[in-house]
Amino acid sequence: MSDVKLTSVQKHYAGFHALKDIELSIEPGEFVVMVGPSGGGKSTLLKSIAGLEEISSGIIEIAGRDVTREEPGDRGIAMVFQSYALYPHMTVTENMGFGLKIMKRPKAEIDEAVRHASEILRITDYLDKKPAQLSGGQRQRVAIGPAITRRPHVFLFDEPLSNLDAALRTQMRVELATLHKSLGATMIYVTHDQVEAMTMADRIVVLRAGRIEQVGAPLELYRNPVNHFVASFLGAPRMNFVEGRVTALGAAATLEVPGLPPLTIPALRPDHGLTVGDAVTLGIRPEHLRANPGGTVVIAEATIRLAEQLGRETVLYADAGALRTTGSDTGTDNVTLLLGEGAPPAEGSTIRFGFDPADAYLFRSDGHTVSAPKSST
Amino acid sequence: MYPRQIPESRPASRLLYVTGVWAVLLLWLMPVFAIILTAFRTFEDVMAGNYWGWPTEINFRGNLTAVFTQTDMLDYFVNSLIITIPSTVLVLVLSTMTGYVLSRHRFAGATLIFSVFIAGNFLPQQVFMIPVRDLMVSLGLYDTFGALIIFHVAFQTGFATLFMRNFIAALPHELFQAARAEGASPWQILIQIVVPLVRPALAALAILLFTFIWNDYFWAIVLTQTDAVKPVTAGLANLRGEWVSSWNVVSAATLFVAIPPVVMFFLMQRHFVAGLTMGAVKG
Ligand SMILES: Nc1ncnc2c1ncn2[C@@H]1O[C@H](COP(=O)(O)OP(=O)(O)OP(=O)(O)O)[C@@H](O)[C@H]1O
Ligand SMILES: [Mg+2]
Repeated sequence: MSDVKLTSVQKHYAGFHALKDIELSIEPGEFVVMVGPSGGGKSTLLKSIAGLEEISSGIIEIAGRDVTREEPGDRGIAMVFQSYALYPHMTVTENMGFGLKIMKRPKAEIDEAVRHASEILRITDYLDKKPAQLSGGQRQRVAIGPAITRRPHVFLFDEPLSNLDAALRTQMRVELATLHKSLGATMIYVTHDQVEAMTMADRIVVLRAGRIEQVGAPLELYRNPVNHFVASFLGAPRMNFVEGRVTALGAAATLEVPGLPPLTIPALRPDHGLTVGDAVTLGIRPEHLRANPGGTVVIAEATIRLAEQLGRETVLYADAGALRTTGSDTGTDNVTLLLGEGAPPAEGSTIRFGFDPADAYLFRSDGHTVSAPKSST
Repeated sequence: MYPRQIPESRPASRLLYVTGVWAVLLLWLMPVFAIILTAFRTFEDVMAGNYWGWPTEINFRGNLTAVFTQTDMLDYFVNSLIITIPSTVLVLVLSTMTGYVLSRHRFAGATLIFSVFIAGNFLPQQVFMIPVRDLMVSLGLYDTFGALIIFHVAFQTGFATLFMRNFIAALPHELFQAARAEGASPWQILIQIVVPLVRPALAALAILLFTFIWNDYFWAIVLTQTDAVKPVTAGLANLRGEWVSSWNVVSAATLFVAIPPVVMFFLMQRHFVAGLTMGAVKG
């Protein structure tokens, strides 16, 4: 039995279709992360599950109960808002205990719950302050408090760590993961942070323009994106995309790509639906482009425009002449390479790089992935 | 800074501006000065036609004693309090509720109800003088405190609703959602979230309402007849009839009557705090 089940959920705002036929089934105790571009409907979906937005049609079940028409307070959820939503006239303690006070719990229990939550969130020093007296990061941590004190069946987090500095964010990430383990509660978590998504999620839901693009385990989504969008959305730096054309088809597909020698994608999905002459997009992750390669790989040359040294690794942006990428992070048609340790080549110098076509992805002109799924090893 | 000051380099404009400000101020305060000065005069001074000059003899005490011992002003004053305080409180309570519902809950006819509240404000009061009087007569309330209280509550709630609705609508939406998600009922949200956050608005509204109702003269004479229920405004008019040309006593009474709204202002002033909702939502 699933813990949260959405069946053909639709949401219309006046004249705007915000959620399109959402089908999602979340297991008890699962940690589901929702990602997607801004305006994709993540907050709307969360609020719909919470009952704060009325859905236009569809069914929402929580713990096996149809709650589609129930009040938020009766659904067994707690939500942490993207914009904090702290009661400005109450102290941190009062803010965190408000939900329990509404439930008419004994004072001792409220105090204990607030103390426990404030230790997890490391806000014990500000318990008597009002929200206006706190910094953005402190407010954000306080905003998580009420959810923890209430111990709901389902936690709904809307970008709860977005305003924290890197160190605090990592700490909180670990704390939330620990909390998830110790409570065993179901959590639905919205984030823009790829690291949070990849590390915290049991499954990731990619939402774009009100539609679920793909659902799956983080590595599965990273290795086998179902379409061009998911491929470009997950992974930083972003996958390189280049336009090409199919010149021969069999079990494999041979492509002609400007700036590259003819290359063959070794395996295709059975339902690829390609014909010779079709325009396709080739996708190669930056870490699969290797410098100074040997062996049976596709080779090209480029001039390095920019080298971003991140310590452990280096991101290179290189101008590969006729080999032009589309839709890159940088907005240029440069190729992106991710190199491991070692002295990076100087800016302005020429680099020879190559890739194994078995690592590449092939997308049909409608965006669907047509190269065969990569094995999970 | 905006509005921008007139630069030092343009003395002529500055002079014109400063003179203008003082002229308007003087004109505005002239009647008040006249009343204050007159309240300090002796009757002889008034008879001698010394209306604007300095009082020849300070007789404020005498005038006030006359107000309290020789007129019924103290009774009228109590009547006014009996009318004004419950009316103000009731309007505040009602308009907080109507404003909350109209700003936060969508229901069929909400816009219509709100329009009725607003439209009521635009009707000239004289238009319903006779219907309201007849209504009160047939309800058996004519010439009672009830008549004035009911009328003031009914009439002021329109304006107060507009005021409170807009104020409550400006509170961050997420606060209401958060409270709802925590299981708070609409009543709990109203009392524990809305009321503390609209305190400055309630204080401002309390001052306005108190002053409006306290100063009302029109409905006082339309809906009351006997001295036992007349508020100070009507009483003051009586005084002028009885104490023809004793302007010194009438002025002293007037000053006395003007005290409550001023006191009200100072009582409420500490509630005018800016930025009550600061820190509620992400900048
Ligand atoms: N109350 C509303 N009325 C009309 N349209 C709305 C309303 N709330 C959201 N929308 C629209 O619905 C879409 C989804 O909004 P939503 O807040 O769910 O996006 P999101 O995925 O959370 O984005 P972000 O990552 O920026 O928080 C947006 O295009 C937005 O304009
Ligand atoms: Mg959002």
